[in-house]
Amino acid sequence: MRFGISFKLGCLMALFGMLPTGLAGYYIYNSSREMLLHAAERDLLTSVQVLGRNLHASLRNISLDAAVLTNGPQVHDLGDMADANERTHAENDLAESFRAMLLAHPDYMQIRLISATDHGLELVREDRDGRRIVRVEGNDLQEKAHYAYVFETLRLAPGEVRISPIVINHEQGAHSGLGKPTLHVSTPVADAGGKVFALLVINVDLDQLFSQLQSDLPKEYQVYLSNRWGDLLVHPDHRRTFGFDQGRRLFLQDEFPDVSRLLNETGPNSLISRSVEQSQQDRLVAAFVRLSHNGASEPFVVLGLGQPQSHVLAQASRAGTNIAQIALLFSLLAVLAAFIASRTLIRPLRSMTDAVELFSRERRISELPPRDDELGLLARRFQSMKQEILGQLDDLTCSRAAFEHLARHDPLTELPNRRRCFELLEQALVAARENGHKMALLFVDLDHFKEMNDQYGHRFGDLVLQAVAKLLTSASDGADCVARLGGDEFVIFFNDVKAPQKIVVLLEKLHQCFQLPLFIDGHRVQIHASMGVSLFPRDGDDIGALIQHADHAMYKAKSAGRNRYSFEVLEEE
Amino acid sequence: MKYLCALWFMFCAVFASMQASGAEQTLRVLAWPGYADSDLVEVFQKRYKVKVEITLVGSDEVLRSKLAENRGGDFDVIAANTAEIHNYVNQGLLQPLHPEHIANTARQLPRFRDYSRIPDIVVDGEIYAVPYVWSDMGLIYDRKQFSQPPGSIESMWDPRFQGRVLAFNTGNHNFSIASLALGGDPFQIKAADFPQVTDKLIALRRNVLTFYSLPEEAAELFRSHSVALIFANYGRQQLKQLRDAGVDVGYVVPREGALAWLDCWAVSKRARDPALANLWINYMLEPEVSKALTERQDLSNTLQEPKDASPSSRLIWLRPVEDDQRRAALWQRIVSGERPPLREQR
Repeated sequence: MRFGISFKLGCLMALFGMLPTGLAGYYIYNSSREMLLHAAERDLLTSVQVLGRNLHASLRNISLDAAVLTNGPQVHDLGDMADANERTHAENDLAESFRAMLLAHPDYMQIRLISATDHGLELVREDRDGRRIVRVEGNDLQEKAHYAYVFETLRLAPGEVRISPIVINHEQGAHSGLGKPTLHVSTPVADAGGKVFALLVINVDLDQLFSQLQSDLPKEYQVYLSNRWGDLLVHPDHRRTFGFDQGRRLFLQDEFPDVSRLLNETGPNSLISRSVEQSQQDRLVAAFVRLSHNGASEPFVVLGLGQPQSHVLAQASRAGTNIAQIALLFSLLAVLAAFIASRTLIRPLRSMTDAVELFSRERRISELPPRDDELGLLARRFQSMKQEILGQLDDLTCSRAAFEHLARHDPLTELPNRRRCFELLEQALVAARENGHKMALLFVDLDHFKEMNDQYGHRFGDLVLQAVAKLLTSASDGADCVARLGGDEFVIFFNDVKAPQKIVVLLEKLHQCFQLPLFIDGHRVQIHASMGVSLFPRDGDDIGALIQHADHAMYKAKSAGRNRYSFEVLEEE
Repeated sequence: MKYLCALWFMFCAVFASMQASGAEQTLRVLAWPGYADSDLVEVFQKRYKVKVEITLVGSDEVLRSKLAENRGGDFDVIAANTAEIHNYVNQGLLQPLHPEHIANTARQLPRFRDYSRIPDIVVDGEIYAVPYVWSDMGLIYDRKQFSQPPGSIESMWDPRFQGRVLAFNTGNHNFSIASLALGGDPFQIKAADFPQVTDKLIALRRNVLTFYSLPEEAAELFRSHSVALIFANYGRQQLKQLRDAGVDVGYVVPREGALAWLDCWAVSKRARDPALANLWINYMLEPEVSKALTERQDLSNTLQEPKDASPSSRLIWLRPVEDDQRRAALWQRIVSGERPPLREQR
């Protein structure tokens, strides 16, 4: 397939139109993608910090609740109450306030007062059991001194609050709290003398705490929480949490390698990380913040919020689609403009081509619509060129006709020359054969022409020949029947000769003409001629034979004494 | 045509033989992380011009399921602890091996060559495994608080260290050491003895600071609560961790003995080339390879005694216990703080 210049030009222009649009579109898409990712990261970081503050606030509220409970009316006296009845009464009151607290806070699983002695025996204990709140009493109370929330809290001063690392609660008989990720908020309880005799523990269900915190977040955000070693505590995939509880540790830093810097206490307090997933689409972009409870020395947790990168990129790809549409539109416009422009340029060229074609085919000059630009100039140049060509062609035709004439006529006498004579004879013979006509060929030779030439010069001879030509022409039927073969030899032929006698009459007439003197160049000269005749088909069938016969006849006349004709009429059958 | 046929046949034969020889040259190893590091495997591959495929497992359960697939036909040589070896032998997954064909067994410490005294690897008079790596669960003690290393496991119950003992949060081993402390069989507690052992464990609970789960946790508690004694569930790895943290601690195997696990190499019944499997085991027992294991993993190899091991060290190789679930259920109640007497609903 061959493409015209208009197609190529159009393509080139379209390319120049589309390329910048495409490039600009791509650049805008790329930078907007980066911008969106950064914005999403910023949002995540802000959100995780807010979430962290909310978590802090929640923990502070729980701590306040713990403080409120320890400051109840008879709590401080429980330490040295000797009277069993009074003690039971005070414990019942405390249980009631525990119960009220549990009812008010669905995320609290258990509230207990635990003795600092007796291996950490529970004194007052209220558990959540589904929708009910149950009091655990008597032999069901357990010894808890070996739990960190007990022995660590007992080291605190009254009024201080400990927030434990998050663990799965495996303590048998913990009712609803059993098997739940649990946070222990505990504070020591001192008697009037300031001696710590017990501690108060609130068990908080981490899942509920987080579902409350999470409720304000967009649902595509995924929450992560790890302890200070990076063990996963909260993760979108619940199976991955509390791995250490099942003997296989699953670390946040394995999923988000940057987090290991947060776990290092000298590292930053917050950072952005991407998950290690292979594919770009499944990757998560997440922000993490390290939360310390009370100052840096306390155990801390790492809180994170993640979002699938694909979700962020979906926005970018929406923008990308818009950009692509705009780029496509502009590209189409560019193609259209290129098409129109190339058409506008190509149409006058094509009409010029048509004009040239018409000229070369028909030698006709067509008018082109007038234009003032370069194309108009080109068209006008073409026009004048064509006119010039036409003029030259005319000249050429003329001169060729002249050459043609020159080649077939004797320039001196304007009679057909030998070549033309033969052509005419041939045509005449063909016609005669077809029609069964007779023809006569007359051979004329001037007598003593050479002597005359010698005597009066060639110019004079020429004039004589011209005069003889006129004489012969006037004697014959038409001009084209007389020809000069060369020198002083002439041929006359007659078509359709009905009777040979007519030839004799003609010969006689010619002979009489030659008897008259001619006045040439001031001289009176007597020109005589010897003539011989041949007849078709009697004396020959072709030109050669006819000429030869006529020539013989002419010589016969010459031999007989010149100035006569020789024609054998009688020999006709 | 005939020539073509013959050529084709020859080509096929050559190809098939190449395939076959290629397959024979692959040794498939099922092992634990750290047992067959790639640099060591590389040396073996070069030396014997074979290919080694290592499959790593992280737990007994995974090991069991990997081996059960295709009835052991997927592996030639496996690493497993003695109790698991016994199970696999019972399931007919292993083939007997001949230590005399493995030259480097001669380099092993005598107690690892006294197969009759290593439980579970001799079944019906046939030896099924060669010991490779082990770790004991001794006691780590604070040298500042003990002038003499604690001689007995009873130290964990010593009221002088009340609140300064760390035990491990596991039912299985704790029942074993309690039984051991009472002079009984650690792995076969008689039904009648359970209340006594349970009481012993409650006494332990009342004496310890806490029951730890992670070695990091133990190390931290050790420093923050002036702990005197730790039951080293993670063995000498835990000792090293504490020493790296700059604590002056000692390690002792009490006179009652220390629970210890022993991982062995065994050859699958459906091994493609048992001779090659033997070469592998022999290579694993080369001093450089076994030493690398100790240096990199802090586990004890079978060629050298570990540093500061008392000569009287008595290791009690772990064995299946009488009733896993009973121990676990009771332990949950004990650790939850139930007060004695514990009544079992049976």
